[in-house]
Amino acid sequence: MKRVFAVALGILTAIGGFVDIGDIVANAEAGARFGIAHAWVLVVGVVGICVYAEMAGRVTAVSGRPVFDLVRERLGPRVALANLAGSLLVTVLTLGAEIGGVGLALQLATSVDYLLWVPVIGFVLWAALWRAKFSVLENIFGLTGLVLIVFVIAYFRLPADHGELLRQATHPSPGDGEDWGTYWFMAVALFASALTPYEVFFFSSGAVEERWNAKDLLTSRINVFAGFPLGGLLAFALMLTSATVFHPLDLSVDSLSQVALPAAIAFGKLGLAAAILGFFAATFGAAMETGLSTGYTVAQYFGWNWGKLRKPRDAARFHTVVMAGILAGIAVLMTSIDPIQLTEYTLVFSAVALPLTYLPILVVANDRGYLGDRVNGRLANGLGTVYLIVVLAAAVAAIPLMIITRMGGG
Amino acid sequence: MLIGFDLLDRQILDADGEPVGKVDDVEIEDGTVVALLSGQQALGERIGGRIGRWIAATARRMSEPPDQPPARIPVDLIAEVTSAVTLSVRRELLVDPPLETWLRDHLIARIPGARDES
Repeated sequence: MKRVFAVALGILTAIGGFVDIGDIVANAEAGARFGIAHAWVLVVGVVGICVYAEMAGRVTAVSGRPVFDLVRERLGPRVALANLAGSLLVTVLTLGAEIGGVGLALQLATSVDYLLWVPVIGFVLWAALWRAKFSVLENIFGLTGLVLIVFVIAYFRLPADHGELLRQATHPSPGDGEDWGTYWFMAVALFASALTPYEVFFFSSGAVEERWNAKDLLTSRINVFAGFPLGGLLAFALMLTSATVFHPLDLSVDSLSQVALPAAIAFGKLGLAAAILGFFAATFGAAMETGLSTGYTVAQYFGWNWGKLRKPRDAARFHTVVMAGILAGIAVLMTSIDPIQLTEYTLVFSAVALPLTYLPILVVANDRGYLGDRVNGRLANGLGTVYLIVVLAAAVAAIPLMIITRMGGG
Repeated sequence: MLIGFDLLDRQILDADGEPVGKVDDVEIEDGTVVALLSGQQALGERIGGRIGRWIAATARRMSEPPDQPPARIPVDLIAEVTSAVTLSVRRELLVDPPLETWLRDHLIARIPGARDES
């Protein structure tokens, strides 16, 4: 049982990255509009985050330094400050969107408008980050989020046209009524969501919270190579079931209730309940991940005390930043902006901020001063370099694609 | 050792491994480093420009009493330089960071549960 809980950090990080509110809807929307023609993007994304999270986990376990320490040490205070500002903007907006996502899940269950839930969720979130043990949060929300497996099982219960799905996956193209611009916009958004910067901030800081050291390298690797593919699988299941149910009927998906429909069709009320529970746990988990990440990045940039391993009074600046992050997220939501649209914007901005986060990780993972003989091998360096180029390409393409396609509207 | 590459911007830890701050700047005399400077004031002055000046000015105003010079750690307190700079003393012996003290006394310590392990 200890082994099962040992991977909770990887699973929670991955769920926050792959099936947070924006991804839940983006994957289902991609499935409805393009079938599973974006399946390869998820594969590329899973491999990419595995490569970099493995490096980040290794650096942190061996040297004790989390990722934002490295960002500042290798990019210097000015560029790191720009990265901090960009990442913080993305993380706080995402945090707002996740709180809204929890609200939408509760709205599905209770029919009470999500905006009424927002202050309650904000308070519960803050209280959890203030009082609850890191490992407890990890285990509850990481493992409950796995209920989304219902979408994997649902696929086998639904009458699917397997030949057609296979054709979509192997011959990626926009299909009828869609164009390459929106196809690539979706691809960039799904890729960026797999590699969002707060995932590596959270994962490496979590490793410090769990007091990993060089002996825990294996734990780190198991977390990476079990957690992220599992997150990718859940994201793929959402795309797949949506492609099965909505794509043949030319229906589009733009709300959380529609995303839950395939599970409801396959399993009735129970399926719907499982889907809502999964949405709730995944979005709340993502809210915790982004909430803590705001504090982690700021504290690590300035060298402050941070983390839940200390009493709050011994990390006053850290807890103040987390609190301010939650309040800012709530303030953004209270403008009544659509939480789902909000994450679509943040994905584009995070695509732009990605290279500044991943370059320092790659550089330090080759530094013997930090890692001794645990530096990158050829495979990690080869893949790391290839992905750095892909990340740069996505960063350059993100804003023009957003403008040309009017946020994927076509 | 290259100051810019191996020392600046590293995390400073006290003898127990608790974070003290970053090496935000260094003081050099006759070509050797004599002290580490830490805190947002030293950082702001090093970053420069409008943002840097603003960070430094805010930190200067926060300090107790106001307009103190940046916190200075003489090099003979350094025990080891690896991926972090470890000191040979506990942080209670160093100057308390003013922002931490202020936020602790005025906000965080007043919330129930601030003293408990989570």
